[in-house]
Amino acid sequence: MSVVGHSTRLLGNTPGSATALLQATAGMPPPHEARLRRTTFFSFVCLGSIVGLWLMFTQLNAGGMRKAEWLLLAVFAPLYYQLNVGFWTAIFGLWRMNLGKRDPLDLWRSLRPEDSEAPIAAGTAIVMPVFNEDVTRVFEGLRSIYLSLEKTGHSESFDIFILSDSNQTSQWIEEETAWLELCRQLNAFGRIFYRRRRKPINRKSGNVSDFCRRWGKRYRYMIVLDADSLMSGNLLCSMVRIMERNPAVGILQSFPKQIGSETLLGRLTQFAQSLYGAPFMSGLDYWQGAEANFWGHNAIIRLEPFIKYCALPALPGKEPFGGHILSHDFVEAALMRKAGYAVRLLPANRGSYEEGPPTLLDMLKRDRRWCQGNMQHFWLLFAKGWHPMSRVNFAHGILAYGSSLLWLLFLLLSSFLMATPSGPQDAQAALATRLLLWVTGMLIFLPKAATLLDELIMGRVQPTAKGRLQTLISSVLDTILFALMAPVMMVFHSQFVVCTILGRGVNWVTQRRRLDGGVDWAEVFFNLWPVTLLGLLWAAVVAVSAPAHSLWLLPVLGAMTLAIPLGILLSGKASGQRLGLFVSPEEVKPPQVQAVMDEHLAEIKGRIHLPPELERFHGLLQVCLDPYVNGLHVSLLRKRKSVEVSRDYLAQIAERLIRDGPQALNDREMKALTHDTETMTSLHFRLWSARDSQLAPFWATAIRQYNLAASNPFTHTLAQAD
Amino acid sequence: MEAVNIQFAPSTGTEPEWNEAYARLADYFRSYQLHNRIRRTQLILETLRRAAQAHERDPLRTPTEHSIEQARLMLREWLADIYSDMNLSDSQLEAVGRLGFHLSGGPARWPNFFLQQQDLPADMREAMRMAVRTSGPGMSISKMTPREMDLGIVSDVAEDTFDRLEQSPWLRYALLVGISVAVLGYLYQLLT
Repeated sequence: MSVVGHSTRLLGNTPGSATALLQATAGMPPPHEARLRRTTFFSFVCLGSIVGLWLMFTQLNAGGMRKAEWLLLAVFAPLYYQLNVGFWTAIFGLWRMNLGKRDPLDLWRSLRPEDSEAPIAAGTAIVMPVFNEDVTRVFEGLRSIYLSLEKTGHSESFDIFILSDSNQTSQWIEEETAWLELCRQLNAFGRIFYRRRRKPINRKSGNVSDFCRRWGKRYRYMIVLDADSLMSGNLLCSMVRIMERNPAVGILQSFPKQIGSETLLGRLTQFAQSLYGAPFMSGLDYWQGAEANFWGHNAIIRLEPFIKYCALPALPGKEPFGGHILSHDFVEAALMRKAGYAVRLLPANRGSYEEGPPTLLDMLKRDRRWCQGNMQHFWLLFAKGWHPMSRVNFAHGILAYGSSLLWLLFLLLSSFLMATPSGPQDAQAALATRLLLWVTGMLIFLPKAATLLDELIMGRVQPTAKGRLQTLISSVLDTILFALMAPVMMVFHSQFVVCTILGRGVNWVTQRRRLDGGVDWAEVFFNLWPVTLLGLLWAAVVAVSAPAHSLWLLPVLGAMTLAIPLGILLSGKASGQRLGLFVSPEEVKPPQVQAVMDEHLAEIKGRIHLPPELERFHGLLQVCLDPYVNGLHVSLLRKRKSVEVSRDYLAQIAERLIRDGPQALNDREMKALTHDTETMTSLHFRLWSARDSQLAPFWATAIRQYNLAASNPFTHTLAQAD
Repeated sequence: MEAVNIQFAPSTGTEPEWNEAYARLADYFRSYQLHNRIRRTQLILETLRRAAQAHERDPLRTPTEHSIEQARLMLREWLADIYSDMNLSDSQLEAVGRLGFHLSGGPARWPNFFLQQQDLPADMREAMRMAVRTSGPGMSISKMTPREMDLGIVSDVAEDTFDRLEQSPWLRYALLVGISVAVLGYLYQLLT
């Protein structure tokens, strides 16, 4: 459906509605402008790719093209295309940033000065899907967002929903208590809601869809957050206002900046994002226009079309390649665009934040899921009805991981070609080799160098001279560290791609967002030794078969060999902070929304905790022993007409829980027990009624220690801010 | 507040058993966040007296069991009066009532009226009734169903192929081994 068609339908096709029609298309870039931008951008990309291909061909063709050389050229083509896309995106972004005048399509321009004071008429739901996340972080983050919204004076237009799919009992109970306490402290009953699904069908996207089905009609917009998201009240209000002013926008994606990292890897990515993120985002906005991507969180969505058009279909076949769509965000963006609404990026430097994986292995675990999700999009590439740019977005997503396998193939083929006898290189081929090297080096390093130069002159990130000097040093170091990481990532991503194709899926696991304690050397060693071994073997083969060419492969093979120390270094907390390295603006001056959260988190960190064996099952302990937590849990359980399991079965597992302790029950038994109102009520009294000799040591200790630790049962996971 | 009558002389059960029941009740009432020790002691003794009578009737159960059961019965009677018109089941009544007492600030504001049957302050009654909570707003159901999507011929062919490979793991691995052998063979040919 076209936008105009949509607008006409919206306005009932009334005569003389040209002005209204114009308003209804607001937010959708004019087609000629979008075409011009895209043609310009892809012309440069194609030109760069063709030049690279031609140079490569000239180099390989010196003694005539062999089959292996054709294969190498075929692998090289998508790699070079991808390199060009990244390069030109950054260059266009830098150009726009230094243009001196605001982009006519900039959505911020649609806001008027008086808008900031005007009331917000539209109802907006802020939804945060969670799955066994750190309860304290989730609820303290929401508290900060809520307080920030209160400051704007428009908080009454927003409702917050915690949409839980947590399947660990203690986690679930702690979420319930944290929700209640947060509402009590903020006097936000009826403003902050908690919903937990009994069956987490279709994971995160199913969780959000379930919200849409139940409550979507009540709101005009939905802002989706991740468990580690933070957004300022000002930005939230501005995003709603932009959506109000631009009815053709279906999804508006903000640029979440990474914050709160403590490890070297975290601070490295945080720094890189703060320095190179803005030009890249600006460049993306330039050529993606109305066909940008949704990144799954820190974005606002127009609910009516989302409910109507963006339900996800199941893919053919079974997981991992088929079945339920894992990376739902790209598909939802494509469906929204297909329905005639724009999906736009909102370049904004402040107000939208997230946390990143703390260690290399956490990053790889996340990439494993993203890889599978992106590979699934292969099915959608050829589906009918997409906007062509949506296909390009899917292809880029697949290429983001597929390119690792292509790079690996490229290097393997190069190694074997080096080892095989070939004819002498003529002068033209030698020149092509040198030129290709220079051009490729430029494509890789020029965007970074240009951004750095821009920063040194303009001081956009670090205004002080000292800060800029530290940025220069940090930038050199980050280039070295990312160059060392790239071959390791290549090996893992290649493995992920092959595993996905072979049908080995991934489990839905909770992401680790902060590193507790030090680096787990054993974990790093056992995960990375194959990369080291591969690097050593490969280097040995090259040294024997083509010693003259081994220097070319040294950066890659050297990095692979150093995978273990690199993994340890990146995961450690020695991150150069004391030396002023890798400093992001948010570290120097934390945004208010982060400062409030950090203050509360620090308060909780200093508390006395129960013994570890009790702390591990704290939620369960509370729901069984504490009269108020038990009351809360039973009140929130949905009243069921019939129980799915027999009363005898429930009585028997309750007895085992009392006699043998929580570790005696498996997840299924625990789930059955905690979902039944009668059993949970009677369990509370049975535990208190039992003599010490009838109780498992866990419960006997818990009863003795519980009152000593719990001054207020609901503040175990939450700061006592009132 | 009533005068504290500390006389307690059960005719059944042993002293250690009643001491254990006392300790358990003390812990139990502390878990209600009742920080007024005198009120807690009153409640413990009142409950123990009722438990002693129950133990006379049924000495097979321990004093601790009787004590907690009596505390539960006292709670139910107390809550049934406050939430009399709400048509709640026993477990709902207990859950909603306990939560209502907490949310109304009962442990701090009205500790002396906890489990007291007569003369409850009207504002306490009102606050407890107002504190009944649900976790979500009223539902407003929408239909969100995926639309038909034509994935095109490539997907059809690929789906058939994947289905076949899915059904025969040996075929999948044979294909993989075949490709690997072909690649290695070709590379060997290049090297020689």
